[in-house]
Amino acid sequence: MAQISAVQPSKVSRVQISKGLLTVLVSTGMLFLLSALLAPSSVVPGTLLGMLPFAAILGIVGLGQMLVIQQAGIDLSVPGAVSLAIVIVSHEPNGDNSKLFGAVVMALGFAVVAGLLNALLIGVMSLNPIIATLGTNALLFGAVLGISGGTPRTTTTLLAAIAGGISFGIPNAVFFVLATLLVVVIVLRKTVAGRRYEAIGASAPVARVSGLHVKTHQGLAYVWAQLLYCTAGIVLAGVTNQPTAFQGNAYMLPSVAVVVLGGTSLLGGRGLPAATVLAALFLTQLDQFVLALGVPYAVRTLVQAAALAIGVAIYTVDWPRLRASLKGLLSVEKP
Amino acid sequence: MPNAKAQDAVMQLRSISKNYAGVAALTEVSLEILPGEVHALLGENGAGKSTLMNVASGTVAPSSGDLLVHGKEYSSLTPALAASLGIAIVHQHPAVLPDLTVLENIQVALSSDIFKGQVAEKLGAEILARVGLKISLRQRVEELTIAQKHLLEIAKALATQPKILVLDEPTAALGQDSVELLFSLVANEVERGTAVVYITHRLAEVRQVAQRVTVLRDGKLRATSLISEITDAELLALIIGRELKSSFPPKHTTTADQKPNLSVKGLTGDGFTNVDLEAFPGQIIGIAGVVGNGQSELLKALAGQREFTGTIEINGEEKLAPQLNGRAALMPADRQREGVIMRMSVRENASLAALKKFKVRGFLSRKVEDSTVQQTLTSLSVKAASQEAPVSSLSGGNQQKVVMARALLSDPIVILADEPTQGVDVGARAELYEILREASARGIPVVVASSDAKELEGLCDTVYVLSRGHVVRTLVADENSEEKMIHAAVTSTTQAVRIERANREQASGEKPSLRDRFSRFMKGDYAPPALLALVMVVLGGYIFTLNANYLGAFNISSILILVTALGFIALGQTVVMMTGGIDLAVGPLAGLLVVVASFFINDESPLLSILLGFITMIAVSIVVGLVNSSLIRFGKFTAIAATLTTYIALGGFAFLLRNNPGGYINGGLAMLITTKLGPIPAAFVVLVLATLGMEFLLRKRRWGWQLRAVGSNEESARRVGVKVTRTIIGAYVISALFTSLGGVMLMAQIGIGDASQGVGYTLTSITAVVLGGTSLLGGRGTFVGTLMGSVLLIQVLNSTVFLGLDQMWQYILQALLILVAAVIFSIARNRKMAIKQA
Repeated sequence: MAQISAVQPSKVSRVQISKGLLTVLVSTGMLFLLSALLAPSSVVPGTLLGMLPFAAILGIVGLGQMLVIQQAGIDLSVPGAVSLAIVIVSHEPNGDNSKLFGAVVMALGFAVVAGLLNALLIGVMSLNPIIATLGTNALLFGAVLGISGGTPRTTTTLLAAIAGGISFGIPNAVFFVLATLLVVVIVLRKTVAGRRYEAIGASAPVARVSGLHVKTHQGLAYVWAQLLYCTAGIVLAGVTNQPTAFQGNAYMLPSVAVVVLGGTSLLGGRGLPAATVLAALFLTQLDQFVLALGVPYAVRTLVQAAALAIGVAIYTVDWPRLRASLKGLLSVEKP
Repeated sequence: MPNAKAQDAVMQLRSISKNYAGVAALTEVSLEILPGEVHALLGENGAGKSTLMNVASGTVAPSSGDLLVHGKEYSSLTPALAASLGIAIVHQHPAVLPDLTVLENIQVALSSDIFKGQVAEKLGAEILARVGLKISLRQRVEELTIAQKHLLEIAKALATQPKILVLDEPTAALGQDSVELLFSLVANEVERGTAVVYITHRLAEVRQVAQRVTVLRDGKLRATSLISEITDAELLALIIGRELKSSFPPKHTTTADQKPNLSVKGLTGDGFTNVDLEAFPGQIIGIAGVVGNGQSELLKALAGQREFTGTIEINGEEKLAPQLNGRAALMPADRQREGVIMRMSVRENASLAALKKFKVRGFLSRKVEDSTVQQTLTSLSVKAASQEAPVSSLSGGNQQKVVMARALLSDPIVILADEPTQGVDVGARAELYEILREASARGIPVVVASSDAKELEGLCDTVYVLSRGHVVRTLVADENSEEKMIHAAVTSTTQAVRIERANREQASGEKPSLRDRFSRFMKGDYAPPALLALVMVVLGGYIFTLNANYLGAFNISSILILVTALGFIALGQTVVMMTGGIDLAVGPLAGLLVVVASFFINDESPLLSILLGFITMIAVSIVVGLVNSSLIRFGKFTAIAATLTTYIALGGFAFLLRNNPGGYINGGLAMLITTKLGPIPAAFVVLVLATLGMEFLLRKRRWGWQLRAVGSNEESARRVGVKVTRTIIGAYVISALFTSLGGVMLMAQIGIGDASQGVGYTLTSITAVVLGGTSLLGGRGTFVGTLMGSVLLIQVLNSTVFLGLDQMWQYILQALLILVAAVIFSIARNRKMAIKQA
């Protein structure tokens, strides 16, 4: 058999930048540039230190949602999960630092149970993820109210120091999101299970024919997601001094938005963890920027909607074809 | 053979050519179709038969050539134009809508003229009776067997009284009685003067029904002849004899006294029956037959991915399905969908089934992976820019080599290749044969299924010919020839495997017992609302025994007034969900509309302003519906992404209009809207009437069938002539309009423009719809169920007050309600599936 130019071993850098990451990277860069030019108050160290922890928390929640969405699912139990974690780590210790560790373990335990419930309903019983996670969310809020009675309690000083503190001039929450990102990336790219997980998301039919356990991975996605929501909730409890029982509600829509902005398709496919975290930074800074411009809350919301619409359209619309057909229209008009 | 009666032809195809991406599927094919006769179209897979008929029925436009229909010239047709010219086609894969009933499938596909002045049930029964289908008109098509679906498809085509009837392999799935019935139906049609084109693989059938026969090969016309003037042997010679395009490696020379390394006995599963196979080390086994005769199912079973009975032994050891799955390497026929992950790189595709090999201290080593994959890719001489190139950038042949690399890297215990060289160029074919030979020489059993008999002749040592799931011929050594394979496949008279069950089901369907009727009701759309009614009565009765005020006028009217706002919004949500979509924007839209109203409809407002207010609310709703559906249909957003975007934006607009609550709603008008007739609010009566009206439209009118058709199966809906985009745009607009009714109710209840209100209705409306039994997948559900779901939801929240339960229980009860309902509906549906597959 003649040996014609076969595959070349890749000499290019192994760190490849996806279209999603590149888009978000450029957008975020431009946003900070605009912020510096038009609303300098939104990029002074004080504002940034205030903004970064919330971007970090949204990033962690977004990573969880991404793990679900890349398996063509969606998780509506984000609010309940985040709220429950907050309530457990602030109510159980009730200011007593020595009880914090136990509370964190308990919160993670609840997260695993909630995740397994979703996995059972979706992976085993084949319920639609929207219905299943909607139900789980209501159950989680039942637990939130059962534990807290709806009244807030102050965070323990230890958690406030760990999650809300600042090291080397950087908010600790940022280290949390970077550590989470690192774990997600390493597991997805460097372990057998992670690579299989990615392949199942990219094409369930191919994975099934190759003998992989598709349903199991799709169900377990909800467990991994719950663990991340729980982490985010714990950090959030530390960052806010007196968190409310319904704090998680604010994360439902943004969690989906950052995944979509990061370039992960709602129909499933490859998850883009770094782009998702960066999209969280983008969305949070966008809020700060518009706020600094002095426009009302309503306009901030509209800007978010526009960002989301453009973010989705970048990936879904067939731009070359659109350009070609526009050109066609113009040339028809000319003669 | 030129025809003397050419001027009588109802249709003439003249020098039709069709190219797909430079590959010729048809080359200068001309065909005359005469009234009152059956014209058989013969040829191997890929000979161009179906493509030619797709040109004739308007689903494919020819690259060159034209058509003459009823004496008029056309360069190409569309499905609608073809239908109006009296051309009906029965596709190989029936275009039926699984979630609709048999009658609805007939009604949505046929023009309403046919039903004019007729009782639909009576005409429907007649249409079914003509093809001898003994099934209930009210049965869901999902529950039909494949044979029954085919008969339904034929019934629909005949009901249009076509002038030209095209049947594309109609007997592939039919049993003997149905085949005979079909032939007599065809004979009737011919008597009526219809021109029939009959595509088939089976010579016996051609003799039985056709007067004229045309043979195609490799997209070219071989011959047209009267059936009486040509022998079977001549026809066979015309069909086969493709030029040998690739070279094959030398065959295995069997050494005596060896034990078989693959031995399959009595293997039976869905699509194949009682299959015995045997392979000795070094041999390649071929599975021949016309596509769709059980080859793919058999290979999937051998790979442990389908249920089977019988035994599979590899190297003398019996293997069960779980031991095969993942250890047997399956190269699927549908490479695009099941073979390669297009978005991933060559390396990721190749290493998918062998990842464990690359582990170093628990983690994958890229170095080991790269070099191992590289070695295999090089040995298969895969041509790609690099390992990291996306697999979609490779040619078909190289993609198949990547699939092959994955198979080899996984150290398989058996290799199962389904159509391994389809869409592969000549050079790569020879290499693939070589690779399969080498694997076989190493002692791995290799089974190749192919519809290309020439390929099996050249590559395989033993060939089993499959027809309708049975092995009809085993060709060993010298017997292994293309001619013998095709002869066995086209002359076989076996019946399809699924037939017996179909007959049994038909027999049992004749006289429904009470139990049958009950089980049919439980499977039907109205079981969920009935179940909800039961829960409502039990819950209401229980609380009434604790507190008599529960059924007092005050409580009833306060429950029902809350229901109206939710009910209207949920009705809208139901319309969208019927199409398989979801509308997250309903909640914020309702809130925005109240804010809008608070600028026009105040205490001092003149009548004109109030009217203007309502008009504005309606206009805003229509715009929102149009934006949602345009993002979905034209921007290719998913329904969630599109309506999430409008969800956020609508909230923004509401706050833009009113940052703080303000603008009191006209008190008199609010009173009017919440007027009560006894304890029942008038608005609730309107809601009930609207629900019943929508239910009627959904069941009895074309709009409703089309709506559910789109949700049931978009592609089939398109093929039966539903305008999909228009239907979906309509659905989102109607959803928004119902939301505006909900907004009116909300306005009367809140009494002030408050931008923070309404958002919660998104999730509540979804909950109500799901409780009512409407499927989120689209295609099935009821408006009545949605109304009941809305009432139950509000009733449960209200009952917590009477039971003295706190907010926690509100959440828990809501959660249990939705989860229990979803699980029950899902189990009911899955059991039905299981029965169908049993």
